[in-house]
Amino acid sequence: MMEAFEEASQASVPVRPLGRAIVVTSGKGGVGKTTTTANVGTALAARGARVVLVDADVGLRNLDIVLGLESRVKFHLLDVLEEKATLDEALVRDKRSETLFLLAAAQTREKEDVDTAAMVALVETLRARFDYVLIDCPAGIEMGFKNAVAGAQHAIVVCTPEVSSVRDADRVVGLLPTDWRPELIVNRLRPQLVKKGKMLSVDDVNAILRLPLLGVIADEPNVIVATNRGEPLALDATSVTGAAYRTIAAKIAGEKLPAPDVRPPSTGIIGKLGSLFGKRG
Amino acid sequence: MSGRRIVITSGKGGVGKTTTTVNVGAALAKRGKRVVLVDADIGLRNLDLVLGVEKRIVFDIVEVIEGRCQLRQALIRDKRFESLHMLPAAQTREKESISEEQMKAVIVELAESADFVLIDCPAGIEHGFRSAVAGATEAIVVTTPEVSAIRDADRVVGKLNAERIPLRVIVNRVRPEMVKSGEMMSVEDVCEILSAELLGIVPDDEEVIDTTNRGEPIVLDESKRLATIYDKIARRLGGDVVAFTNLEAPGLIGRLKTLWKAG
Ligand SMILES: Nc1ncnc2c1ncn2[C@@H]1O[C@H](COP(=O)(O)OP(=O)(O)O)[C@@H](O)[C@H]1O
Ligand SMILES: Nc1ncnc2c1ncn2[C@@H]1O[C@H](COP(=O)(O)OP(=O)(O)O)[C@@H](O)[C@H]1O
Ligand SMILES: [Mg+2]
Ligand SMILES: [Mg+2]
Repeated sequence: MMEAFEEASQASVPVRPLGRAIVVTSGKGGVGKTTTTANVGTALAARGARVVLVDADVGLRNLDIVLGLESRVKFHLLDVLEEKATLDEALVRDKRSETLFLLAAAQTREKEDVDTAAMVALVETLRARFDYVLIDCPAGIEMGFKNAVAGAQHAIVVCTPEVSSVRDADRVVGLLPTDWRPELIVNRLRPQLVKKGKMLSVDDVNAILRLPLLGVIADEPNVIVATNRGEPLALDATSVTGAAYRTIAAKIAGEKLPAPDVRPPSTGIIGKLGSLFGKRG
Repeated sequence: MSGRRIVITSGKGGVGKTTTTVNVGAALAKRGKRVVLVDADIGLRNLDLVLGVEKRIVFDIVEVIEGRCQLRQALIRDKRFESLHMLPAAQTREKESISEEQMKAVIVELAESADFVLIDCPAGIEHGFRSAVAGATEAIVVTTPEVSAIRDADRVVGKLNAERIPLRVIVNRVRPEMVKSGEMMSVEDVCEILSAELLGIVPDDEEVIDTTNRGEPIVLDESKRLATIYDKIARRLGGDVVAFTNLEAPGLIGRLKTLWKAG
């Protein structure tokens, strides 16, 4: 099962530069961090990149489910950090992709059990072996958040077009290292509702957050279906949302692409938001 | 007699804890109950936004605990529901700025002059969760009919059971048409997995998004379908027996059961 991985890592030892460690974060829970991690990772791997997805949501792991790998998880992040298993034993290779791996979180342990320094060292090790290390951050801004961010060099902030989500995202951006330039994914957009003035537009959201826009993902019942089945939409050639994830992956890989064209104008709900963001941090 | 102290929790974020807290609280207040909503999501407060009182915040719970103001000075009275109050969380502080004991003391004090204290719990199961639960004697576990949310809810149910805190479940964002087509788990499946009693079924309804953005609890408008549903939940909470709408269908229970055996 590990063959492809071992081959890849051996071949890479001498020259390859370290991979990029990117944390996928949001502040607010349930906005789509895990869905984004799984889909962007899958799409990057489909381009041939070596990708490892790290579930940093210790105690409330979900990434294994979204990838449909839950029955293959034998060891987890804490086993590796505590040297109860080797990295190779703990990495689970994806069913569909040779170059995509999962490092699952422990389900029955606590976030406080993670040693920050060991986590940073682990991410470093992973960067030597993979092109991309995507870290799926837990909700909130407690220890779990801090540990997920500690080893990364870059952040993707996932936000839904809702006042609470924007406020929490703004808070999180304020907590990230000041020299980072986090990129934004607006998730669960419903253009129809935006047109009716019942949902914030992408411009509304970004008038507050002011981050480079990495992508926009529509609200789609198929995402829920795909999650329940453990099959990321990014592999579905017929799905518009799948294509949106593939575009995001292309951008991360450095392709120059035009900004997505799903941006109805401002709705006016923003008036309410404006007054909320006097201070950051 | 002191009021009931109920925490609204879930494990997973974004499943509707804050929406539930506000609407169940408002529905109880509409029925004449004295209700206090407590935002325990220190650092990521949202309850004020959903209730639409964000501009009226003067003091917050951390300032109360640090003795920088009186508890009653920090309470905000809702202008639409006479007997509804809320205690805001601090936005620029950490969850660790409140201990479990301090949180409990505030909740107990609030319960002395309220019929219901509803505590809006943060996502996760870290310190913020533990302090939100510390002051409660009952729990409402909110989940959506999705594998990830249920797994997280299961973890929380285990923790509440260990603390001997009785709980009931609200299944939120149910889409009956998806349940019928077998693409979404049924409410029955959810309750069976969590082995917990059902308190309410709330459909997925886009009105929630709009009313949340405007800071208007959906129960304000009695013509809204969800207003009736939250009112039923409020009555069940008060002890009434109120029939459930029937939304059953066979579902994805097979996959889940193996998931649970795997731990
Ligand atoms: N674009 C989308 N359209 C519809 N549903 C979505 C979308 N993105 C995420 N979801 C749903 O929202 C829920 C929360 O997403 P998840 O990725 O688990 O969030 P988080 O990791 O931030 O808690 C999931 O169960 C998923 O099915
Ligand atoms: N029944 C529902 N139908 C549609 N959307 C809902 C429903 N309940 C909640 N939501 C949406 O889900 C988002 C998350 O809800 P929220 O109450 O903030 O969750 P939590 O407090 O658990 O993080 C809200 O912004 C709201 O718009
Ligand atoms: Mg997640
Ligand atoms: Mg909330």
